[in-house]
Amino acid sequence: MTELKHYFAPTSLDQAVECLKDGDVTILAGGTDLTPQSQAGRIRIKRTLMNIRHIPQLSGITLEGREIRIGTLATITEIMEHPLVRQHLPVLVEACNHFASDQIRNAATLGGNICNASPAGDTLIPLLLLDARVELASMPEAKLYRHSMPLATFFVGPGKTRRSLCELLTCVRIPLPGEGHVAHFHKLGTRPALDISTISIGIGGTLREGVLTNVRVAFGAVAPTPVRAARAEQALEGQKLDAAIIDRVAAIARDEVEPIDDVRATAWYRKEMIHNITRRMLTHVAQA
Amino acid sequence: MSVSEKKTRIIEPDSLIGKRIPKMDAPEKASGRTRYIHDINLSGQLYGKILRSGRIHALIKSIDTSAARALPGVHVVITAADIPDQRPIGVARDHFPLKVGRVRSQRDEIAAVAAESEEIAEAALKLIKVVYEDLPVISDPEDAIKPGAALIHPEPHGADGTHLHLKQGTSIAHRGKADNIAMRFDYAHGDVVKGEAESDVVIEDTFRLHYVTHCCMGVSGMIAEFDASGNLLMYSNTQVPFLHKREFAEYLNMDPARIRIIQPPIGGGFGSKLDIYPFEIICLFLARAAKRPVKMLFTREEEFLASPTRQPVLLTLRSGCKKDGTLTFRQVHTLHDNGAYTSWGATTPFVMMQTFSSLYRVPHCDYHTAAVYTNNPYAGSFRGYGNLQATFAIEQHMDMMAEAIGMDSLEFRLKNAQDSGETTGQGMVFKSCGFKDCINTAAQRSDYSRKFKENEANRGKPGNIKHGIGMASMLHVGGGAKIYPSDGCGTILKMDDFANVTLITGASEIGQGSETVLSQLVCEELGLPISAITVVNNDTAITPWDVGVHASRTTFIAGNSAIGAAKKAKAKILAVAAKKYDAAEADLDLRGGFVIKAASGEVVVELSKLLRNLHFQDKAELVMTTFYYEPPSVHQGKDFKGDVSAAYAWASQVVEVEVDTDTGMVRMTKITGAHDVGRVLNRLGIEGQIEGGMVMGQGYALTEDLMIVDGVMRNPNFRDYKLVTAPEIPEMDIAFIESMDGEGPQGAKGVGEAPSICIAAAAANAIRNATGVRMFELPFTPEKVYRALHGQTPKRYWKPWKAE
Ligand SMILES: Cc1cc2nc3c(=O)[nH]c(=O)nc-3n(C[C@H](O)[C@H](O)[C@H](O)COP(=O)(O)OP(=O)(O)OC[C@H]3O[C@@H](n4cnc5c(N)ncnc54)[C@H](O)[C@@H]3O)c2cc1C
Repeated sequence: MTELKHYFAPTSLDQAVECLKDGDVTILAGGTDLTPQSQAGRIRIKRTLMNIRHIPQLSGITLEGREIRIGTLATITEIMEHPLVRQHLPVLVEACNHFASDQIRNAATLGGNICNASPAGDTLIPLLLLDARVELASMPEAKLYRHSMPLATFFVGPGKTRRSLCELLTCVRIPLPGEGHVAHFHKLGTRPALDISTISIGIGGTLREGVLTNVRVAFGAVAPTPVRAARAEQALEGQKLDAAIIDRVAAIARDEVEPIDDVRATAWYRKEMIHNITRRMLTHVAQA
Repeated sequence: MSVSEKKTRIIEPDSLIGKRIPKMDAPEKASGRTRYIHDINLSGQLYGKILRSGRIHALIKSIDTSAARALPGVHVVITAADIPDQRPIGVARDHFPLKVGRVRSQRDEIAAVAAESEEIAEAALKLIKVVYEDLPVISDPEDAIKPGAALIHPEPHGADGTHLHLKQGTSIAHRGKADNIAMRFDYAHGDVVKGEAESDVVIEDTFRLHYVTHCCMGVSGMIAEFDASGNLLMYSNTQVPFLHKREFAEYLNMDPARIRIIQPPIGGGFGSKLDIYPFEIICLFLARAAKRPVKMLFTREEEFLASPTRQPVLLTLRSGCKKDGTLTFRQVHTLHDNGAYTSWGATTPFVMMQTFSSLYRVPHCDYHTAAVYTNNPYAGSFRGYGNLQATFAIEQHMDMMAEAIGMDSLEFRLKNAQDSGETTGQGMVFKSCGFKDCINTAAQRSDYSRKFKENEANRGKPGNIKHGIGMASMLHVGGGAKIYPSDGCGTILKMDDFANVTLITGASEIGQGSETVLSQLVCEELGLPISAITVVNNDTAITPWDVGVHASRTTFIAGNSAIGAAKKAKAKILAVAAKKYDAAEADLDLRGGFVIKAASGEVVVELSKLLRNLHFQDKAELVMTTFYYEPPSVHQGKDFKGDVSAAYAWASQVVEVEVDTDTGMVRMTKITGAHDVGRVLNRLGIEGQIEGGMVMGQGYALTEDLMIVDGVMRNPNFRDYKLVTAPEIPEMDIAFIESMDGEGPQGAKGVGEAPSICIAAAAANAIRNATGVRMFELPFTPEKVYRALHGQTPKRYWKPWKAE
């Protein structure tokens, strides 16, 4: 049973963070995680349920200087269809394309995907490749206070982040990728729609004359959080993508991850897939 | 209209048979107006909820319901102790709805609440305290038959070791069972030892079939109400209202005549509603105690946890043939995981042995099943009824034996395939049989032989995507199945003053399209448009007896029954018309809503006018007829021999796949099906039935897997239990072989179960064709296939075993 006593739908950011001070508040965005999880008893709805969907400051996708700002309330569908995202962040579109189904994509928000902090969250891998930062708002005193941190340091464990109970995620900021930037995402599940990733892989960097620099490799569903693969990144950095290096990186990636057995797959299979898909993706990049 | 015009009016011949007729319930369903049981609420109704076991196998030491009873809004709380006259249910009467002294599986019912709202009922369940003492869990059927294995149904003892004061009875639930063998089946024809001696090639393999469940879109539910005179009215989703009426009466210790069952539109059956489940009896207990209507609806999780499954099977098949391709013998041993209680799953050998003994001509056959108790979920009946499992084994062996003797697998199949006119070792008589046509048609339309060779040649080439093609065929009852003394169905037909027909049939509609096809058959006889008919088929107080919706029987049995009633009505009408218009009956016919001259189509009289004349006269008469159809089939004896069905359906299906060797992912790209359906009645309906069945077969083969670990269901939800989604559905090419069965309604045979039967077997053959690797265990999920491709799947061998 829930202890839910109040429902609150603020229309401004100030009202929302003011409400959060209480600490006993559950934030509702699209509800596509919250509803099934609370019904299954995996999370408990707190005293106040705060619906943030009526706060204009939390929406929108805009170019601010050399950064793209995506409001926490942007839905997967909005992101997928937005010209700025399509032009500058195609890897994010790739991930959105494999996300759930139309119905869920219309409701699910980017902020919800981030705050839910599932190791299999599909937008998290491309956001890691893109050096995204998350922005958090709170009201420690009487004034709105914002701070930000790299997404790469935001996740602590399954469902756990560095966000404090009094903070609201307001937006994600992504620096515009430079010239020659390439990035790809691959989701491996058992079916093309409505599936949770068995594993997912993102690989990005700057490609010049077959050489990859500023490399980012990130994996989903192989650790308690989405992770960057430091050793695989190092092995790729500054290398020309030939068959030997691709095989070497794929093997390093396989040995670097420490996944678990669950209903979707065994750890062994996940490691094999990290190897095979990493190899396949790098081969595609090399051939492109 | 002038007299001369009337005389020249001609009605051209027309037929409804073979046309594409939209299902009569489609507009309501598509527009969301259908009132399922979920949408029905009676005034004064309470909501029932069940407390299930927190343990897999345990003694119940105590149950404390006092806090739940005290919760405001709670009307009734019951446990086994409150129902002293509780009777065991199920096929083997080994199952008390409310558990007495012991729980044996995760879904076990301990207590139930009726309250003013679902929320209150839920809250009350949380207040019930149960103390358990855990017992060892048997989750592997092989463990259940080991000497000294713990018993799932020992003689019932109370928590303190003394006898529980159960009412006297002889059932397993009362007396216990000294071993874990719930049921056994032994069948033979010929002499397998002789058969083996004559064989040039003998192969033996173990196959393992997994748990899947029906996943009806409409979750289970019931509403029960006792009226002031003690009569019981049930809104129930049963597929077998008449048999269940009697059974409910037994469980409630009441007169069946006082039970009435109304079936609201059913949101999916597929065999799942063929047995009575604890929740139904518990709902009745609650309604009886509360003296109020009680509604009970499952949540989706409950639907997974507490619904029956398809029968999981461990099967070792030994087959032999001669070098010239003649089959010599087949020997089959299966271990059925019965789960904790016995439902219809245990009886799937009825169907499985037919496939082994009679799909192909095999002179010697020996078949044994032991269904053994475990602490797992229990299996019920499910579309195909064991035939998916049997076909999976047999059709892989057909390919393997062909390969072993170096014969083309098509030629090998055709050499051993049955023909019409044959009587099998099991005594089945194939009056109409389009089997060879099915094989040839499916092979030609899919270009099987060419692709098969090409794929084999391409196996070793570079690239991670391998293409495969595989075939499998099936035999299934297509004219009912006489598993009860009667396999009949009754019809009442009435015509009104406007020549509209009300067809009152015992046959239930469970979404399969029976009301449309029955209407079509009646309208065809009476020369009426399909719009002229109303079907009443869901109320035992109104409809005549029928054995139930199962065994692909409704079109055949209820169809013949409806035709019988329509023919009687037609005869009466023509007799009246002949007299009135001074013509010979034989020269008249019914067409387009008129009585016509048969030879010319010339209108004699409008049918509605004739009916009114008949009604509004001195000796008033109405056109109302009844008919009961009993098929000419045989109730099999203890040896399981005899012609159990009035007709048999055949099909061959070819499945094409792409296997990604990097991931083990199998994509089904095309299914070609050739089905001997006797005759196509409603083309739209039969296509829908076959397409749906193929997708169900695809799910069984590739994605669906109800994971049970140590008796615990790991994935009771649609996130982790993977039904096939729209983009995965392959291209389908469906061909009909119209063998015009002599006994079938307009020549038709049953088809409901057939389309899902071959897919897994054909997929296994296709994966082998693509990769050279043979899969003996379902389902073909990416990891399973990947492991097999990388030699990570040790081949399982289950040493044939039969109960002493
Ligand atoms: C059928 C189905 C399929 C799915 N498929 C996928 C898939 O393919 N890939 C995938 O990644 N996910 C999938 N999901 C999960 C889910 O849709 C996503 O994680 C989604 O992005 C969550 O967003 P939401 O707006 O619905 O979040 P909500 O459910 O509203 O919230 C999720 C969590 O985040 C918190 N939260 C939300 N917004 C904020 C904020 N601004 N500040 C602080 N906390 C916040 C909430 O309190 C809650 O704990 C699926 C879910 C379902 C039901």
